[in-house]
Order: sequence, then structure tokens, then C-alpha cells
Amino acid sequence: MAHQWGMVIDLDRCTGCEACVVACHAENNISTVGEDQAARGRAKHWIRVERYFEGEFPDLKTKFMPVLCQQCDAAPCEPVCPTFASYHTIEGLNGQVYNRCIGTRYCANACPYNVRFFNWYNPEWEKPLNLQLNPDVSIREVGIMEKCTFCVQRIKAGEIQAAAEKRALKDGEVQPACVQSCPTKAMVFGDLSDPDSEVSRLARGNRGTKLLGELGTLPKVTYLQKDSWHGSENA
Amino acid sequence: MAAKTPDQMTDDLLRPLEGASGRYWTALAFFGGIVIAALCAFAWQVYGGIGVAGIRRPVFWGFYITNFVFWIGLSHAGTLISAILRLANATWRRPVTRCAEVITVFALSIGATFPVIHLGRPWLAFWLFPYPSERGIWPNIRSPLLWDFFAINTYLLGSVTFLLLPMIPDMALIRDRATGLRKKVYSVVSIGWRGTPKQWHRLESAMQIMAVAVIPVAVSVHSIVSWDFAMAPVPAWHSTIFAPYFVCGAIFSGIAALIIAMALLRKFLHLEEYLLRIHFENLGKLLLVMSLLWFYFVFAERLTIWYGNEPSEMTVFWVTQTGSFSPLFWLMVICNFVIPFPILAIKKLRTITGCVIASIGVVIGMWLERFLIIVPSLSHKYLPYSFGTYRPTWVEITITAGTFAAMALLYMLFSKTVPIISIWELKAAPQTQSGHAPALAPVGQEGAD
Amino acid sequence: MQRRDFIRITAASGAVAALEGCGNPDHQLIRFVPEEDLLPGIATWKPSICTLCPAGCGTLVRVMQGEAEVVRNGQLGILKMGLAKKIEGNPAHPINQGKLCPRGHAALQVTYHPDRIKTPLERTGQRGSGQFKEITWDAAIQQLVAQLSPRPTAANGWFGFITPPLRGQRKTIVDAFCDALAGNHIEFAFLAPEVISHANSESFGHGGLPTVDLSQSNYVISFGADFLGTWNSPVAQSIGYGNMRKGRAGQRGKFVHFESRVSQTAASADEWIPSRPGMDGALALGLAHVILRDKLRPATSAGQAGLLIDGWSAGLPDFAPEKVEQQSGVSRATIVRIAHEAADNSPSVALIGDAPAAHTNGLFNARAANALNALLGSVGKPGGINFSPAVGLRGTERLRSKAELSRMEGPGSIPIYDAVSPGTKPPQVLLLHDANLVFSTPAGQQPREMIEKAGFIASFSSFIDDTSAFADLILPDHSPLESWLDDAPESGSMHTVVSLAPPSMAPLHNTRSMPDVLLDLAQRLGGNVAKALPWKTYDEALQAAFTNLYNEKGKQSAKDADEFWSKAQTQGGWWSANEKPAPAGKAIPYPKLNPNPEFDGNADSFPFYFQPFASQMFYDGSLAHLPWMQEAPDPLSSVMWGTWVEINNRTAEKLGVKMGDTVEVASAHGKLQAPALVTPAIAPDVIAMPLGQGHENFTRYATGRGANPISILAPTTVEGTGSLAWAATRVRISRVGEGKIVMFGASMEETPQDTKHR
Repeated sequence: MAHQWGMVIDLDRCTGCEACVVACHAENNISTVGEDQAARGRAKHWIRVERYFEGEFPDLKTKFMPVLCQQCDAAPCEPVCPTFASYHTIEGLNGQVYNRCIGTRYCANACPYNVRFFNWYNPEWEKPLNLQLNPDVSIREVGIMEKCTFCVQRIKAGEIQAAAEKRALKDGEVQPACVQSCPTKAMVFGDLSDPDSEVSRLARGNRGTKLLGELGTLPKVTYLQKDSWHGSENA
Repeated sequence: MAAKTPDQMTDDLLRPLEGASGRYWTALAFFGGIVIAALCAFAWQVYGGIGVAGIRRPVFWGFYITNFVFWIGLSHAGTLISAILRLANATWRRPVTRCAEVITVFALSIGATFPVIHLGRPWLAFWLFPYPSERGIWPNIRSPLLWDFFAINTYLLGSVTFLLLPMIPDMALIRDRATGLRKKVYSVVSIGWRGTPKQWHRLESAMQIMAVAVIPVAVSVHSIVSWDFAMAPVPAWHSTIFAPYFVCGAIFSGIAALIIAMALLRKFLHLEEYLLRIHFENLGKLLLVMSLLWFYFVFAERLTIWYGNEPSEMTVFWVTQTGSFSPLFWLMVICNFVIPFPILAIKKLRTITGCVIASIGVVIGMWLERFLIIVPSLSHKYLPYSFGTYRPTWVEITITAGTFAAMALLYMLFSKTVPIISIWELKAAPQTQSGHAPALAPVGQEGAD
Repeated sequence: MQRRDFIRITAASGAVAALEGCGNPDHQLIRFVPEEDLLPGIATWKPSICTLCPAGCGTLVRVMQGEAEVVRNGQLGILKMGLAKKIEGNPAHPINQGKLCPRGHAALQVTYHPDRIKTPLERTGQRGSGQFKEITWDAAIQQLVAQLSPRPTAANGWFGFITPPLRGQRKTIVDAFCDALAGNHIEFAFLAPEVISHANSESFGHGGLPTVDLSQSNYVISFGADFLGTWNSPVAQSIGYGNMRKGRAGQRGKFVHFESRVSQTAASADEWIPSRPGMDGALALGLAHVILRDKLRPATSAGQAGLLIDGWSAGLPDFAPEKVEQQSGVSRATIVRIAHEAADNSPSVALIGDAPAAHTNGLFNARAANALNALLGSVGKPGGINFSPAVGLRGTERLRSKAELSRMEGPGSIPIYDAVSPGTKPPQVLLLHDANLVFSTPAGQQPREMIEKAGFIASFSSFIDDTSAFADLILPDHSPLESWLDDAPESGSMHTVVSLAPPSMAPLHNTRSMPDVLLDLAQRLGGNVAKALPWKTYDEALQAAFTNLYNEKGKQSAKDADEFWSKAQTQGGWWSANEKPAPAGKAIPYPKLNPNPEFDGNADSFPFYFQPFASQMFYDGSLAHLPWMQEAPDPLSSVMWGTWVEINNRTAEKLGVKMGDTVEVASAHGKLQAPALVTPAIAPDVIAMPLGQGHENFTRYATGRGANPISILAPTTVEGTGSLAWAATRVRISRVGEGKIVMFGASMEETPQDTKHR
């Protein structure tokens, strides 16, 4: 059976440090857009940490929630793309084929999570910052939509390596950049089709919720809700 | 009013084609200049990247799609009105049909440029066309944008046919009166029309078929355009009311455009004896009906949203009702209903001027309506952290202005090369005394209605 | 001939190369002979050390073959070389165990920064104008030799070398260099932990920062310490925090945070309890008072740490809950409840740092928190605070305080405020390494004057910044990834850790490693300097140190010193779980301290407390030049490419200030303008600003951007240590007009409709 990649994010562990945000930029050749473009809403943070306040001073609670592409099994971004640039892979990922994208941006409107980012200009890296670019990930030119891929380049590299060694991938062997970096281990990645994988086990826990699950998108990221002091269960 | 002879009518209606005043050339240059500015703006956008426009995350569609929906919508009245009035045998339609059909063809052409203008990589727009590509895939037929592609092209084809067919006898008329190069050109476009009964019969049958066929196509086009929005899970987009709502809005804006076009033609081409108050009154009554219908749709949709109290929809509701978009929202209501309703309902106010004022309001109001459907919802989707405001840049404003200028430009060019009122149809109408368009049956024609 | 052969031959003959050259100017550059042989597309992972904050995390650097445009012998060309592509945490390293904070990733951009100084520079214009010309290394070194040859005397003036608090062999070399030249090695850091270190010496006999065993804590109280973001060892502490929350079946620790604003760490607390600035000591003692009063712990269990506090054995009558409520603004009921919760849920631990240690009563506050910890029984125990086993080797132990200094033999370093007091003459020769004093000290303060009036300034900086713009000579250091690195972190793990890393890549530019330059200088200066620093290169010195280490500690892990040395290089260092913490040192004198904070500026003219804070992206401002850090949204405010002034929303309403409005913040010592961030997450009488922006000069990404809160601070000092009390300034604030603030997230006034999922 094909892998079905999924993720669990434990909101009780997340501290909003944004290591995931910067790791993702570094891994995926995401260009910085500068102050003026950032002011115009063009910054591309494939994973972002949303911060919400509840209550009023002095009884204020803060909540952090990392949001990235949920790789929905019923993704609203897939049917609307006229060129099949957004499509569902057999491993359950929402693939974004940069070459097919003509930039209608329908997918970005349809995505309820606002996790799709557009290249409004050709990206630039002032030399020698171009040397930091990861050779495993393509550069996207102007007019192309991009988003989190669950670091598909790492998934593919892991699968190729495992196949070459004639063995199966071990649970936790492949980690997207964000998961690898997270200091509190709030993020877990793995194969949802394997009931014994850590991600499957955690997703079954009673704190598990889906972001905007009521929309029927079937997201593959399970959020474990922040617990209270006398929380009874580990997962 | 004294009845006109057929020859007098022909002279009156062909006079605009002979030469142009200084005022005409000035206006042409003015509109042409704006169109050129718009083309430069677009070229700048292609060269520099679509980032020169104001669209952004999360408002990925802005002025361009507003214009797209607006112009496609505007195109509805023409052919639809023309077709419906033909089928209903409304005789007062005769001077109006070609004006209307021309609006359709030009508005549709203008609207159809926007799916290319708004692309991030417009040089690849041809990938929407189903051809066996080297990429090994066909376009995604599940995408409403593909439905747009087929529907708009079908409608365009149909409207052009619907326009060109009844033009043939008039082209022949000009050919017969012309000499030299003009004769040659008009010979080509009149494709050998001789006016034989067999040809008339064929023409009439073709018109009947087109009139019936074009109505469902027209209805489907704006339903499909509405599904660009309704098929996405965006708050206040995902509503079943969208298809009829958009079709209604389209007809509404189209009739208004028609009234304005007719008023301008009447003034500048001296067609006061052909485009009479009764024409404006009748269209004005149609406009009133559409205004009421539009109000009904808007009210029904908003009542349902408000009653349902779904949080993300209510955010959009309040932001248009009382929040940052409310000035535009209330302006829209004033333009689409508050002003037109009394003008069009009260006979004393339903003059030509009155109808034009109401129509200008409706055109503005309907443009705002498209904007208010698209932008507030995209600005406020589900996750408040990702809300964002949209501000158009000079590129989008210039291109938008360019579309209005292009419409005017094309219309002006058309009215100087083709008689804007269908001469043979006017002649074919029965003569009356109460101010209806004077017409005589063409020689040898029976029951030309 | 076969088609295959034809293609091969044509390619080999350069026809393809010629075609490649069409239209691409890069390919017209000459190609240098590669110095290393790497397979393209295959990555190797090399251990390294992160140097961007004092935590000292171990990293792995992904190196792949690439082509770099470099200048060699004055000629621009292309060089195929191993290039660092990504930095990850080193899973084997005991401090960060494979994890990394956002700053660690951005270190890559230091190496590849477009504004890096590529070759030695000599000043041409006025000092401070930032005008330089390129010179050769020979010329630069000769100039320095000339400046350093006359030894410091009363007539010649003194010689100083300012660095951040150094560790490892870099410290050894700089200490020895300065000592041999009869100069001063001065340590400077805005966020220096002197106060905490000093308090720990006083309370526990262990100087230095504590290692907090959060993973086993059941109750964590933080007094203003941003331990999940910027304080002490954030990655190690975050790992512990994750475990504390959800790493133990059936157990979840509680975390309570006292601070006048919601810092990034406070945001993760179960309870954020707003408390008045400077009252953290009072709060800690208030909690202790309740514990003593309700007989939850005996007073004697606090040992030495308790004795430091006046009134301890009497049960702290001055810190009854009613009194503390008045002082701190925290209700007495809360104080009583938290005290009971802490005592009932062992192991419980208190952390203090950042602003509470930067008040005039900072040392008092730290002593108080220490006493509370001791009372709770968390010192030296699982789930509490511990002190890492020091490797008692000369040069691999960081000196913590002036008091300890007197116990050490040989060369050492001194904190800047001990080195430079009002009336001190400026130095004749000043060397600067990684010390942006002009940015990080308030305008009217002594250290800054020192820069402006020094006789000769040489900087090893890799960038023109606010301070190196004043240099007469710049000898650009390698970037960390291009350098031999070693470190002896003082906290973060109960392992003894000595990190070691060879360079991950060859130098891009014509730079030299700072310790190598010092060793070269030492040889040229001759005499006792050359004797004190007998090594030719830094790695030689490192190998010597590691041979010592092998002889003292490493005999179990390798058969000889050479194997020990190469194993350490492959692994990223040497670490051992077998070392015991050093025994507590002798008691040091602890003068009586004023328990109350004093603020500069009277409360009528300056009604607000001013709280600068370390920013997650820029730390103390030293990382503002990295574009990833400028564009990463600040976790609480989501601001990018800018700075902000945090104002409570009710206060803002009263002042007519809206989100993004430009406001002027004025102290008795200066004023600045910045956009307002209107937020519920701060007390109504507190104004806060992140450190980091406001550089007058710091590469294209940070120059002239935002405002620097340090510039308006009063030069008040912490009683007992003399360090800058940077949280002790009062300000007033007024609206200037409309402004602009760039945020990634929508306005803070939005709250989610449905909070179930968030």
C-alpha cells in the first residue's frame, strides 16, 4: 500500500519560536520579498505561526498555531486548476507542478487555509546569497503558485534510498525541514496508512482536531489541542 | 410625425457612415489614447511581473476579475434582449436590436481578454485550449475556468453570428449605393446577397434558430461565470443563488448599457426620429423589472446569510453592511435601486434623460456589485490571521479605464462603418401613427415580421 | 562513426561549452582550479557550531558542490567548491539534540551575505564616515604590528581588546595576547548574564548560568525569563519544555509566567500574570513567605541562598502577600495559590532572567529567585536548576564575575563596566571583535565615548556596522562556517561538552580567521607575546588543547591523542556524562541590596516603564543584517522588516493612537520614533520595544531601518555588579501622526470566531 503522508502538530508543545518557518525558507529556496512587497502582502511563508489572543488584559491567553498546507484528501484547490498544476498524488500529497501553472490563482482563492503563495515577480537573490540555494528544489519564476510540499524532495530522496537498499522506509526516517527543526518536538510526520506509526498513534489521541474540518476538506494534519493543567492523557 | 419613405429612412440611417466631424475624431483620439495607455500598462505588467498590480494574498482576484464579470455580464442584454424580443414579436424592438447585439459582441470580446490579462503567465494562456499537448494532459474539465472557456467562446461565436446574419441585407444595401473601394469591401461582407425570396426565407429561418439557441447559451454563460465563485468554499461565495443572481445582474447591467448607448447614438447620429421615447420607456420598464429582481436576489441572499449566522459569512456580511466596505455597498444600493426605482416607476420621470440617469447609476452600481462580491469575501476568509486588504494600483485602474474606452472606441468605429439601426428590419415593420417607428414592408415582402 | 561517439567528441571539444556560454555572462568568467573534489549532487554533512547566541548548539552543515563567483589574486572568476547549503541541529550534540532555533538556520546567510567585507580595509575618510579602501593583508598586519609594538605605558596609553564573552581556545588566545601585551581583554554583551552569574555565585557558590532540567519539572515559574526564545539555552530548554508538557504519560507540568508584557515565552504559559517591572524579587519572596508561613518547607532548606535575604529566618515579614500585592500588582490570592501549587507539585523550579535582572535591583531579584528555588528544593535536583560540570582546563572555562576573577590565576577578562568607569582615558589602541558598542550602549555612556576617542581602532568585523564604521583598519574574519570553531557551553546540558568543528567550507573571500591573525601578530611581535602564543595556526592551538583534554579526561574514549582529535572533529566535539559538577565554591561576600527598583525619570514627566526585550529574530540586534530574520514575522506581533512600540490597547485609546501610527518615545536621555503596536498583551503603564533595529550602518538590509531602544536608555547600573540596568528607564509617549507597520498577520484586534480549533 502506498504511503499516505500526514502530520500531527501538538499545540501544547508549540511555543511559537518559528524555527519551522525559517527552516522551511532555507530548505525550499523561498525568496525573501523585501519590505515594500511584504507590506503589500507578498511574503511567502509556506508555514506560518498564527497567533491569537483570547480575553482581555489582564486575563489574556495567547495561542499559537502553525499552519501549513494540509494536503487535503478532498482539496478544494485541485478541481479548480485548469491545467492540473494542483493535483493529488498517490501518496496523498497535494502536488503542485510548477511547470503547469499559468497563474490563474483560483487554487489560492479556493484554499480555505490561505496556504498558497504566489510569485508576483521573478525571485531574486543578491549574490552571493544565491549560493545558499538547495539544488534539490526548483526555483519558481513569476506567475507560479507555490506552497508547502511536505518537503517532497526529502520524501523522494528517502524512498529512493530505501529502494536502493531494498528495504522499507522506517517511521520517522523522512522528516520535512520544519519537523526536523522543531525544538519542542511539537511536529510529527509519518505514514498515516501505517497504524503503528507515531503520527497515526498521535492522530488517534483524544486531543486531536482538524483545522476547518467542518468544510469537508479532509486535511491530513491533525492538531492536538492545548491541554489544561490537570490534563489526563499523554496524547 | 410624418411617416418616412423607405428611401428617406435609408438616407437617414446611412448618413452617419458618410464622413466624420471634428468632434468624432477628437473623441476617437481621446478614447484611443486611453486604450493605448491600457495596452502599455498591460505590457508593463507582462514585462515586470503581475506584481505591479495590487492583488495580493489573500485577495488574489481584484479589478481584473471584476472587469471580467462586469463585461461578460454587460454582454447579456444585447443578444438576450434581441433574441427574446424577436421571439415575442415585439415590434418596438426593431431599431434597437443591432445596437444591442453590437454591445454584446464588443463587451464579450473585452470581457474575454481578462482571463488572459489576469494570468501570472499569460503567454501560456493557450494551455486552456484542448489540444493534444506535449505535456500529455488535456485541460482540467472539472475546473469552472474551463467551463468559462467553452461557454464564452460558444456565446461569442453565437453572438457574432447573431449580429452578422441580419447585417447582410444592410451591407448589400450599402454595396448597391457605393462605388470604388467601398463597393468592393461591402461586396465582400454582403456575401452575394441579392434579396431573393429564397434568401430572405433562409435568413429568417436562421434568425429564428439563432434566437432560440442563443438564449440558453446566454443564460449558461453567466451561470458558469458565477460558478467561478460559487464552486469555491469561500464565505459568501458558496451559495446556490449565484447562478440566477448573476444572470439577473447581467441582464440588468446590459439593459442599462443599451439605454446609454442608444441615447448617445440618438444624440450624435441624429436618430431622434428613429429612437423614440417609447423605446426608452419600454427598455426602462424592463430595467425597472430587473432592478426589482436584483433587489430581490440581494435581499434574499443577505437575509439567508444573516439568519444562518455562520461566523465566517457573518464577518463578510458585517464588513459590507457596516464595516470598511459599507460605503461602497450602500453606494451600490443607491445606484442600483434607490435612484432607478422612482425614475423608472413614475411615468413622468421615465423620460429619455431619466432613463439614462438611471442607467448610468446601474452601470456604476453593477460594477461595484462585482467588486463587492469578489473582494470582501477574499479579504475575510476563515482564518482571521490571514485577512488582508486590497488596494488597486495604477496598472489595474488604467486597464479598467481602457476597457470603457475600448468599448466606446469600438462602438464609434462600428457606427461609422455599419448602420447602427437595422434598415431592412425597420422597413419591414407595419406603419403606425402613435409614435412607433415608421416602417414599410420592403417591396415584394409579405409578413416580414 | 557512431552517433554516440560524435556527441561525446563534440562535447569534449568544447562545442557544447561554447553554446553554454551564449547569453550567460557568468560563463565568460575564468574558472579557477577546484581545490577540492566533490561529487556533484551528493551532500556531505559536516559538524559545526552555532555562534549566533551564547547557547552554543551543535550543528550539522549540508555541503554540496557548487560554483561560486570569487576573487582570487585580484581576479574575478568561478570556483567549483563545496558550499554550505543548509544548517541543521546535530542529533548527537548534548545541548540541542538535533534541534535548532530560527536564528541557527539563518547563520547560512552570514557566509553568503552580499555586504560581507571581502578583503582588509583601511579608513580613508573621517572616522565614522564608513569610507574605506582595500589593502593587502600584509599591509594590514604591518600596520597593526606598528601600533602594538610600543607596549602600553602611562605615556603610551592603554591597549584594549573588546570581544563578546568568549569561551574555549579563542578566549585562551585573546586572554594570553592581551596579557602578554599588558593590555585588557574586555568582554561586552548587551545581554550579558553577569547579574544571574553573580547571584548564582553568591547563592550557590556556582557562577554561571544554570542548566534547567525542564523535562522533569512539574511546576515552572518564570520571572521574565524568555527561556523558550532567547534566554540562556533556548533550544535545550525548549526540548525540556516539550517533554514537560507532553513527554511523560499521565503527567503535564504547569507553567506560570510573571512579566509586564506577553513575551514569546509568556505566550506559552498556562497563566501569564502581569506584574510591575522590577518587582520580581518581591514576588519570589512573596511566594517564599507563603511557603514558610504555611509550613510547606522549613526555612533552613534554603541554605546559603536563604541567608542572603534579610529577614529570611524571620519568615520574610516584609514580603507578606498584602505588601507584595501593593508593590507588584499581583493579587494576594494569586500569590498564595501559586505558592501552594509550587510547593505541592514537586519538582518545581523558578527561572529568572532578562529584564528582571536588568533593573537597579536586578541582583536582589536574582538572589530572591535563587532563595525560592533553594526553598523549593530544586537546586541540583532533577526537574530543577543545576550547574554543568565544568571542564577544569585553563582556557575552556568561561569566567563569570569579577569576584571569581580574583580566584583565577593568570590572564583573564573583565566585563566592560569594570574596565571602563567615568574618568577613564580612552585607549590608545583598541581591537574590536564582534562588539557593536556604538549600537548597544546608550548614547551618553562611557563605552561609546571610548570608541569615538580611541587612538587607533582595528576591527575584525565581517561587516561594516555602527561600530566598525569607526575603525581605522578592518581585518575581516572568516564567517563561522569558514572557521575552525570550538566552544565550551556553560549551560544547556548536564554533560560536559567541549564542541569542536573544522571549517565546513573554504573561505569565499580574502578573509582570515581572527585567532590566526592574532597568532601571526604574536610571531611578528616576538618576545613574550610569541612565547605566550607558540602556535602557528588556530587549529594547531586547538589540537594542543585537545591533547591536554585527552590526557586529563579522554583516555577512555580513544587510544591516543591523534585518534581523540579526529574523533572529536567527526562527531562535533567531545562530551561526557561522567563528569561531576564542581563542588560549590567558597562563600563570597554579599553586600546588602535595596530590594526596590529605582527608575530614571520622574513618574510625572515620564509615566511609562520602558522595557526593551531581546527579539526572537534579531536577538540583541546582531542579526538584523540577515534577510531571513528581517522577513520572518515576529512571533507575537508578526512584524516584518521593521520595529514597533508595544502599547496597551486601552492606553492607546486614551492617547488617540491607532495601530501603525508613528509615536515618539522620549526618556530623559533621548527620543525615538517608531510605529505603534496596539496590543492587549502588555500592562497599561508599560511601553516595550524589541532590540534589533535602528542600525545607522549595518548592510543594505538593516541600515537606517527602524529605531534602537538602547539609544534612549538611561546609564543606570545594577546595584552590586555595575552592569547596565537596561530595564530601569521611564519614558513618555505621544502620537506623531499616521505611520506604517508591516505585519504578516492581520490586525491583532481580530479574534477568531470559533476558538475550538485554535
